[in-house]
Amino acid sequence: MPISRVLSVNRGEIAARVVRAAQALGIEAVQAVSAADRDSAAARLADRTVVIGPAASRLSYLDASLLVHTAKATGCDALHPGYGFLSEREHLARLCGEHGITFIGPAPETIAALGDKLQAKAIAEAAGVPLVPGTAKIADAAAAKTAAAALGFPVLLKASAGGGGRGMFIARRAEDIEASFDKASNEAEEAFGDGTMYMERFVENARHVEVQVFGDGSGKVLHFGERDCSIQRRYQKVFEEAPCTAMPANLRKLLHDSAVALVASLKYRNAGTVEFLYDVDRAAIYFIEVNARIQVEHPVSEQVTGYDLVQLQFRIAGGEPLRWSQAQVPVQGHAIECRINAEDPTRNFQPSPGRITRWVPPHGAGIRLDSHCYDGYLVPPFYDSMIGKLIITAATRADCVIRLQRALAAFTIEGLTTNLPLLKFIAAHPDFAANRLNTRWLEQTLLPAFESSQE
Amino acid sequence: MANADTPKVSAEDIESLIELFKQSGWDEMHLETAGLELFLSNDPNATGPRQTPATAVAALTVAGSAATPTQVASPASVATTGHVAAIPEGMVAIRAPNLGTFYRAPKPSAPPYIELGQQIEITTEVCLIEVMKLFTPVQGSVRGVVREIRAKDGQMVEFDEPLIIVEPN
Repeated sequence: MPISRVLSVNRGEIAARVVRAAQALGIEAVQAVSAADRDSAAARLADRTVVIGPAASRLSYLDASLLVHTAKATGCDALHPGYGFLSEREHLARLCGEHGITFIGPAPETIAALGDKLQAKAIAEAAGVPLVPGTAKIADAAAAKTAAAALGFPVLLKASAGGGGRGMFIARRAEDIEASFDKASNEAEEAFGDGTMYMERFVENARHVEVQVFGDGSGKVLHFGERDCSIQRRYQKVFEEAPCTAMPANLRKLLHDSAVALVASLKYRNAGTVEFLYDVDRAAIYFIEVNARIQVEHPVSEQVTGYDLVQLQFRIAGGEPLRWSQAQVPVQGHAIECRINAEDPTRNFQPSPGRITRWVPPHGAGIRLDSHCYDGYLVPPFYDSMIGKLIITAATRADCVIRLQRALAAFTIEGLTTNLPLLKFIAAHPDFAANRLNTRWLEQTLLPAFESSQE
Repeated sequence: MANADTPKVSAEDIESLIELFKQSGWDEMHLETAGLELFLSNDPNATGPRQTPATAVAALTVAGSAATPTQVASPASVATTGHVAAIPEGMVAIRAPNLGTFYRAPKPSAPPYIELGQQIEITTEVCLIEVMKLFTPVQGSVRGVVREIRAKDGQMVEFDEPLIIVEPN
């Protein structure tokens, strides 16, 4: 049944994005806010705003009962969870279902299955999706050498019972196994009472690549291309782009096919992202996990496919089938997103909430800004520090990088400290322009260079 | 000095900050912006931030929890539940601790917790707020006479909405 009124239960830019997408489809939007977000952009845009609780997330955005009660009390027939907060909690999806509210996301059983890492890996394996190659238990150093030769060096040896790096070592050649196997096994025996070892391929030069998928619940699944999110700090993505131009076409096909096969096997409903590690040196991909929600970086996929993915979430949740073929989702051009955070990159990324006294975003062809901020907006100290996403689109990656540099240079934010200087530094770096990146590049190469440039 | 580009901090902003501080669980908050310095503390003996600033410090002690009645009028909300009338001079409001359904009586057949003109104590239960069949009694948290019952029985109230107006004594 088509949705007529939705409760948006997130905050920040995604709440504003959800409200706009609903209204564009003729769906009324009610925005649930905490006391700290009364004045937020989503509250201003929504057809109705209700203050559900105090600023503390656990008494507002993290209280599933309160959210479902609010949906019912305001006459909503659907609930959009956004990302973060309760977006991937089986409990909220289930509670919505029990109270006749359409949860805009996957079925609760799907969320539960994919939320369990071991179960998710088993589902992936059953669907023929490549995992990081590894071994079962290894008896001794000689068996380890044989196994490593089969897997290909370098390999990572781990203690079966292990954790915290105990009994773990990287072997780059057979001699490393000779030198370290017995020692590591003994260490594991001492630490965990079990010296059993196993082995995985070690990915030295890894990129984070993920596939945007959509299912309509019938088993039909379409993908909306891949994103390369290799520029990360402490597993937090900073830049995301689509497509991954560093990947050869045959591997990209395997990537897409794997993602689609995995979620199709679950009769997946609504938006999801299948994350992979891209082993650049071996030209291989390995499954990481599925995120059963819309993601922060969805706009780059929208820019290169032309589909509004949040609107599509509403349409699928309202019962529409995916009536397109994969050929009707072509990927054209290139898009790069960077996350603007209220944090100080020169002081260990300390959050810097406060009042925005001046907010002058760049304008022009190929520039999109998804943000909830405006002149005079008070960034509250209780939540995530992201204040916007700058999304640049151009015909080629090279053009996109130049446009991004210009857009960042034209962006003025005053009143609080942001990571704009760092974003500019990344955008201007020769490795970024040349796309010589991996998941360790930001921390190992870029940040030391940035820090010395600040002295 | 504040220049033309710098937005003035309004009384509403300060009220919102006090509210945020009350919710935060922090011991102290110290804010400096153009033309204003604000110091909030839960310590009744607090005299100001450690470093003595050049501008005057407005030291305020904020006590109690979210449900504590306050004589400060609620900041204007963009919420669309209608304009909340001001709290009359000298009165205090008992406010909703969260969004929920307001009930005047413990069950449908029972008499209401309180009536107009009734004397209440700090611990007197004055109403129920229901969230998904979980009923939470709200205590008066002020001693005084009930002068107005703003919320309607069985209707949704939002967080911080004035439910009952009390004349303290």
